[in-house]
Amino acid sequence: MRNPTEWKALLRFLGIILTAEGALMALCLLPAIHFSDGTLWRIAASSAATLATGCGLWHTFRRHTRINDRRMSYLLVTLLWLTLTLFATLPFLATATTPSFTAAWFEAMSGVTSCGATVFSDVGGLPASVLFWRSMTQWFGGFGVVLLVLALTPRLGINKYSLYTAEASGADNTGKTTVRTTVTVRRTLAVYLSLTVIFIILLMLSGMHLWDAVNLTFTNISSGGFSPYSDSIASLTHTQQYLLAAQMLLSGVNFTLLFLLCTFRWRQVRHKVDQVGFYLATCLIASAFVVLSVHSHTGCGWSDALRLGTVQTLSALSTTGSVIDDYTQWWTPATFLLLMLSICGGMAGSTSGGLKAMRVLILMRNARSILRSRLHPNAVDPVRLNGRPVSGHIINNVMVIFIVFGATLMLGTMALMLGGVNATEAIGASAGCLTGYGPGLGASGGFGSYAHFSAPALWVCSLLMLLGRLECMTVIILFLPRFWRR
Amino acid sequence: MRRFNYRLLARLTGILLLVMAAAMLAPLAASLYYADGALWPLLLAAATLATIGLLLRNGIGRKATYELHERESFWVTSLVWIAVPLGGALPYLLSGTASFTNAAFESFSGFTTTGSSIIPDPSAIPQSILLWRAITQWIGGLGLILFVVAILKRLNRGALRLYSAEFSGTQQRKLHPHISTSVSRMWQIYTLLTIVLTVLLILAGNGVLDSVCLALSTVSTGGFMTTPLGMSGYSHLTLALLTLFMFLSGINLALLYNLFTFKWRQLKASQEFWVYAAVFLLAAGSSAAAFGVMGNGWPRSIGYSLFHIASTISTCGFYTTPPPAWPFWVSVATFLLILSGAMAGSTGGGIKLRRLMTLFIYLRNYLTRMLHPDVVFTVKIDRKVVPGEYVNKIFGFVFLYICFIIGGAFLLTLCGSGIAEAFCLAAANISNLGPSPLINSLGASLDYALMPTAAKWVLIALMLAGRLEIFALLAIVSPSYWRLRR
Repeated sequence: MRNPTEWKALLRFLGIILTAEGALMALCLLPAIHFSDGTLWRIAASSAATLATGCGLWHTFRRHTRINDRRMSYLLVTLLWLTLTLFATLPFLATATTPSFTAAWFEAMSGVTSCGATVFSDVGGLPASVLFWRSMTQWFGGFGVVLLVLALTPRLGINKYSLYTAEASGADNTGKTTVRTTVTVRRTLAVYLSLTVIFIILLMLSGMHLWDAVNLTFTNISSGGFSPYSDSIASLTHTQQYLLAAQMLLSGVNFTLLFLLCTFRWRQVRHKVDQVGFYLATCLIASAFVVLSVHSHTGCGWSDALRLGTVQTLSALSTTGSVIDDYTQWWTPATFLLLMLSICGGMAGSTSGGLKAMRVLILMRNARSILRSRLHPNAVDPVRLNGRPVSGHIINNVMVIFIVFGATLMLGTMALMLGGVNATEAIGASAGCLTGYGPGLGASGGFGSYAHFSAPALWVCSLLMLLGRLECMTVIILFLPRFWRR
Repeated sequence: MRRFNYRLLARLTGILLLVMAAAMLAPLAASLYYADGALWPLLLAAATLATIGLLLRNGIGRKATYELHERESFWVTSLVWIAVPLGGALPYLLSGTASFTNAAFESFSGFTTTGSSIIPDPSAIPQSILLWRAITQWIGGLGLILFVVAILKRLNRGALRLYSAEFSGTQQRKLHPHISTSVSRMWQIYTLLTIVLTVLLILAGNGVLDSVCLALSTVSTGGFMTTPLGMSGYSHLTLALLTLFMFLSGINLALLYNLFTFKWRQLKASQEFWVYAAVFLLAAGSSAAAFGVMGNGWPRSIGYSLFHIASTISTCGFYTTPPPAWPFWVSVATFLLILSGAMAGSTGGGIKLRRLMTLFIYLRNYLTRMLHPDVVFTVKIDRKVVPGEYVNKIFGFVFLYICFIIGGAFLLTLCGSGIAEAFCLAAANISNLGPSPLINSLGASLDYALMPTAAKWVLIALMLAGRLEIFALLAIVSPSYWRLRR
């Protein structure tokens, strides 16, 4: 902690990330030129500033490559997201599209954490370059910049495994298919990139303009949920909506698993078969309930109900947050179920947020096992996942994350209420931000936005997004006095 | 496997029904004295219960063997807890106070010491029925099974099983090696508290019947009140007495026994007691400050806060008119205290502080272990190590508790409640709190009488789940219970 070389290495690392971010920001110049929306110089300036800072840090500390202290890697992950967010606000600030820094920070955080909550009540009025930047932040944020960097620079020297687990849900190390993190990261990246390309092509084949196809794919494959339109995905054709639903479904599946499936390595799939089964079963059952309730309570026909119900259910379960219909007006239990689905979330190792299917599964099986052990005190009945017993250590860790997650949700709700949000909306916003679903309940749900939230409430929401993306513990540990002690 | 010991179940239920018939003598006497017109319904109810009780005890249960296996104890506990409150609903039903659902609701609410009432104006119903309401709470307060255990000394090991089925989860230190002795000591202290409070209330100038009802409701942490305006018509002295006794009822009964037998060291050594006292003082102090700062006048702020916090933390559920300006902080504190409840082994509901302490210590260890992965930690309470499997059970319990709140809230939204309202109702009823100004502050109605029938049954199930600490109730509906019964 007191070692200056470690700090320098940390700064170098931030420099690399910022350079990447600046480069991606430069891509926003393309729509600025093509649509000539008058933001060219402003975007260029933001991009240049980011690149300059990034390259400056990288170059200055180029010789310091090693981070050995575990604490530094926790700190690095949190700082990484904060720095990214800070520089991601530049395009919003430079084009003066947000009313305040708070709003820009919220929007940037929502993008970088691939949450999907927006402060813009009228997205349609934004310049094309800003719209593209929103999609872009979600696309690279959703996947996790850490993974990106690890894949690009395998010889980074950082304690890779600890960083990887800090970032992408520590629960998923029971059935790792490969020992080497780098391989996992490469596979994940391959899947992510090919899915993006495939879906852009598919959407274009379905008659969509390239601009919309890129924006929507960037935000849906990353389970983000921003849209270039104020009515999200409601005015698209049915085929396009189903295509986006497929993206959402896939964005909730473990990417390594997708890779194995695509390369026909069936036998390795069995390590994750329980999670997939649980995820798909949840999709089916929840969709059935939502479809039924949409059909019976909003009076639309079966085919419409099927479309609205399944798409919104998938959007919630994968914590994407694209909105196909104003679900806050649906039957209350359906809305409630969507909220719970977003808390449940997709599979670990995917871009979705929430608790993750594996954790929910372990929690449920553990509860069942405790029940059984009370009925049969002498029976040995370990919790099993994919046919293997799960150690008590992992179970308790999952429990801790569950309880911290629940407590954060509750405290977030209360903090939002203290910031002047009414109870129902506070529950929705807290869950929406923490899980990365995005839209909440009430005025901030459905096609609504967070524009009417007070500044403190927006800060609370931003914090919740960060906590949700980093799975709480990585951020909370920074507040432990012991962390800073020598 | 041996057949289910239904004879013992019949005998225990029979005994409890006889006890209830005997307990009805008090309302009968009150009815005669006040001539309130409820004499015949009560007589009929008592006769019915006595007949059924005798039939069960001396008919089916005549040849009962006093052997009880682990799994049967769950059945016995759950069935007794369903049968006895149903029997206790007879007076309401026969006197025409309530319909069947309402009578059942009132009775379950009484026996589980919840205190949710479907009677909008308690002063309008016969006084003898009011007394019966209070008595149901008192019987349920310590637990129906504990009642039997104290009577039936022959139960021996079965008694311990029943005891742990009703009081699950936490490691309890027994007062005496003999379970029936420790249970009867608990009854002694419970009765003593009730009598002392009754006498003090009468001395404070309240009517005799009123004092008895209030004392029975307070010591059992039930919370049925005798006026439509809650406790707002009572003198300050009365409220102060109630506050003190609500606080006392939140203390572990075994500790209270030690307190009354002047074994101070036990109390001093109990970490949970100090946490309880600290939480109480902190919550009351901060609430008083919040009320005071908003200009409600300091004496009233302090008095109200003490009363309200004592009522909430002990999950008693008495309320009085709050000061005009309601600070948001009080809502937060109230909700947190509803979930936490008081000490394990007290008559109150909720998750219980002891469990939360265990979780907190485990969480602290977890965070430290993130920094120092090789350090071995243990969870210690009262200088004793809590074994890993207990920690796991506590985690499991909290998980199920939260699941029940979520599930209950979902069912309540099916019955037409709003989402925030549903959460508060579910939490208040599973914690056996009952009415709380918190629900009012959400703008929802406290009038349980106006809720749909289905919602009432959902709440009944929640109350029962909360009172039996979930496992006993869940055990009998668990598939593994039935599968392995062969």
